[in-house]
Amino acid sequence: MSVRLQPELRNQLIQFGIGDWNACYHCGTCTAICPLSEKGFLFPRNKIRLMQMGVKDELETSVEPWLCYYCGDCTKSCPRDANPGELMMSLRRYLTSKYDWTGLSRKFYTSGVWELGFILVFAALVVIAFLFLLPAYGFKFTTELTAQGGVQVNAFAPWEYIEIFDWSMAAVVALLLISNILRMYYKIIWKDGKTTVSIWTHIREFWLLIYNFVVQPRFSKCEDKNYWLSHWFLMSGYTIMFIVIVVYLEWFQTDEILPFWHPQRTLGYYATFGLLFGLFVAIIGRIRKKRIKFQFSHVSDWLFLIMLTLTVITGILIHIFRINGMAWATYISYIAHMAILVPMILIEVPFSKWSHLAYRPFAVYFQQLKKHAVPRKSNQ
Amino acid sequence: MEEPRIGVYICWCGTNIAKMVDVEAVASEVSSMPHVVLAKNYKYMCSDPGQELIIKDIKVHNLNRVIVAACSPRIHELTFRTACEKAGINPYLFEMANIREQDSWVHTDRSEATKKAIDLVIAAIRRVRFHEALEKRSVSVNPATLVIGGGIAGMTASLEIAASGKQVYLVEKADHLGGMVAQLDLTFPHLSSAQQIIHPLIQRVKNNPNIKVFLNTQIQQVHGYIGNFNTTILQNGNESVEIEFGNIIAAVGLKPFDPVVIPEYGYKKIPDVVTSVEFEQMLLSGLIQTSEGKDPRNVAIIHCVGSRNKKFHEYCSRVCCMTALKYVHQIRAALPDANIFEVYADMRAYGKGHEEFYAHTTHKQIIFLMFDQQTGLPRIRKAGAADKCNIIIEMDELLSGISIEVPVDMVVLMTNMEAHDDVKEVVRSIGVSLCGNQFFIEKHPKLDPVATTTGGVYIVGGCQGPKDIPDSVSQARAAAARILATIAQESVPVEVTTAQVNELLCCGCQTCVRVCPYSAVSYDESKKSSVVNEVLCKGCGTCGAACPAGAIKCKHFTDSQILAEIEGIMSLSYKY
Repeated sequence: MSVRLQPELRNQLIQFGIGDWNACYHCGTCTAICPLSEKGFLFPRNKIRLMQMGVKDELETSVEPWLCYYCGDCTKSCPRDANPGELMMSLRRYLTSKYDWTGLSRKFYTSGVWELGFILVFAALVVIAFLFLLPAYGFKFTTELTAQGGVQVNAFAPWEYIEIFDWSMAAVVALLLISNILRMYYKIIWKDGKTTVSIWTHIREFWLLIYNFVVQPRFSKCEDKNYWLSHWFLMSGYTIMFIVIVVYLEWFQTDEILPFWHPQRTLGYYATFGLLFGLFVAIIGRIRKKRIKFQFSHVSDWLFLIMLTLTVITGILIHIFRINGMAWATYISYIAHMAILVPMILIEVPFSKWSHLAYRPFAVYFQQLKKHAVPRKSNQ
Repeated sequence: MEEPRIGVYICWCGTNIAKMVDVEAVASEVSSMPHVVLAKNYKYMCSDPGQELIIKDIKVHNLNRVIVAACSPRIHELTFRTACEKAGINPYLFEMANIREQDSWVHTDRSEATKKAIDLVIAAIRRVRFHEALEKRSVSVNPATLVIGGGIAGMTASLEIAASGKQVYLVEKADHLGGMVAQLDLTFPHLSSAQQIIHPLIQRVKNNPNIKVFLNTQIQQVHGYIGNFNTTILQNGNESVEIEFGNIIAAVGLKPFDPVVIPEYGYKKIPDVVTSVEFEQMLLSGLIQTSEGKDPRNVAIIHCVGSRNKKFHEYCSRVCCMTALKYVHQIRAALPDANIFEVYADMRAYGKGHEEFYAHTTHKQIIFLMFDQQTGLPRIRKAGAADKCNIIIEMDELLSGISIEVPVDMVVLMTNMEAHDDVKEVVRSIGVSLCGNQFFIEKHPKLDPVATTTGGVYIVGGCQGPKDIPDSVSQARAAAARILATIAQESVPVEVTTAQVNELLCCGCQTCVRVCPYSAVSYDESKKSSVVNEVLCKGCGTCGAACPAGAIKCKHFTDSQILAEIEGIMSLSYKY
């Protein structure tokens, strides 16, 4: 079967931050030098080819872009300065937009107006909710402090209500992300219609998903240990924060000021440190542009870093102001924190850069499934 | 005949010979042979000290024969002949034994190679005893030049020669000057206008009082030899003019290949499949449009049409890759949003500025698609109603490994260049040979690329092989320089080692007349004998070998010389 070329694909892909891919003349140095490219899952050269020619289906069903961890060796060794590493990065953005069925991901990646508009609308909704909705239910801003001299956060933003909101937002995001992962799964495993994977294989290889999510071992194959460490700190800090906020908010958002060594505080401090450390490495890296993976920043990369940094900073401020009894400062920080956090989670997790937290480990799992795939019986 | 006094010199050629041949053993083995006065070995005989050694020995030891056992006589025979001449002995009393190409380079057993070297040197010693002194001869040169072909190469050569005040006859088959360049829009890699190159040149040729231009004209059989040619040219099919000239430049060029013979491409069957020549006309007219008068949204350019394919022509036509890249710039300028596909087999960017041009062009948002000449050409078909395009190209894309369909509205076929239909008549009339690709054969592909084996006949431009404008112009000027040098000398040396007929032995069978490749032998009815024109004779020896009566003697290759050489080789072989 011949594949019809879609030359317009090139123009679509350029919007996802693609470099000078036309310069590639297919010497194959990138694929040869890549520490992660392996038999059956070769990249990046062949993906560049599909992009150049406009072979949409083949590109959309490939798992390889997610198997690349962007060490930059390919870009360093490219004789044509075609920047294969950044091409793989751009493909990940493109694929993210393709897994998303709402079409919002594509809008966020390709239009600053859409992205900024979305953020502002949701930030405004959060602010309105705190200023008008919660007071309407009888919750109030009070400068009256607790016996310990701390701010009464739960009087203004009761954890029961916030947790309900957290849960519902998590549910929306999870539904979107899961549906996207199912689409990813269909595209990678089933769409070509030539092979099949047994249910037993699905079960047997499932541990890979957990292992890759927690340890991120593929990083160490190509990247220096420092980056693996900072990324791991960021990831673990974020995961801890996510769990305590969504599941254990009653325990985490207390009016009582607990002793310094109480797990509530130490866990919070660790998560904050992890996030700050990871963010610091990424932001400094993107400013200095020394690592190849940090040399080419798409708008979405910066937006993610800035929003996450602001979330962490406002979170720290809430804590400081609360234990020091600065009521109004606490409330303002809390509203700002939520006004940044909510649109960030809504945009980043299902539609943009942060979705890689799911796509990355799932890709390794799907790769393993593909390795065990057997030819499908013909329907004769 | 004076007593031969032979000096033998064995060259080491650094280690080239000395590594495989025991040069001292060779020298000592032959030193005791009759007539050998001395036998020496030296590191580099061709070096100045090497030549000085020979000159000194000739004078001191009163040598009258010299043998150098070294490389091929093709390389250094002239060097040593000149050395002999300097020392005062006739250069034809020198003989060379090839113990490098025919011995040290091709053998692996040192003792066997040494024995072979001894055999070869002994053969040379035996032969050189029979050498005769031969005198150099020369003929006068007519200062006029005939240039065949009025393209950029022919016109450039004409202007170059006319600039020195010498007469040029420029003969052009068509009714206008300019050749292929006149049909082009822009040139690569600088995208300068071909018209602005060729038109001033045409005007200069027309206005030059020393150039006589004959349009609509074809040449007849050329008679004579270097310095003294003549022919009749036929103008407008009937008016004949007699001209005389001393040198000839063939600049007949090439013509475009007709892709109608390639069924895959559907040329002339499918609308909007055009050749590069037709596309140039489109560009000259300023409009790139489909046959329906619309702007094409997708244009494919197919490379190597009729080139590098054993079914059509095995050679590369050298200019198409860069021309195809040139089209990218022109299409992009006219249709900024068009998709441009370069369907190619290999990208060849060999010339000055060409690789840079390729690299620069790759940034013009084009899609390169590679096909394999061996596994099959791309197939072009007319698109269906639902396809939203005019033409579909099906191909197995090599760099992705998948079979693809390319939707396009126009296809440009980068056609090869091939010899004109009447090229055989042209080469016959001027005494030049054609290679298998129907290109004119040069005297030496590297060291003498514009001369031919026929003295006074030069080949420039496309007829010698496909080439671009700079290469054609360089050749034209090179040939002009060669011709002006002969004109300036007023005479040219001619071959010394010619054939000679012994009229008393000739039986008049005319075998020699039939076998001579240079038309140098004719039959003289009054003498009832064959006669050799010593100016035309190249000394190839064909007539001498063919003569059943043994009436033809080839100077420097006499029976006694050759037999002595054979005896030399055989005698020692028997001994071992």
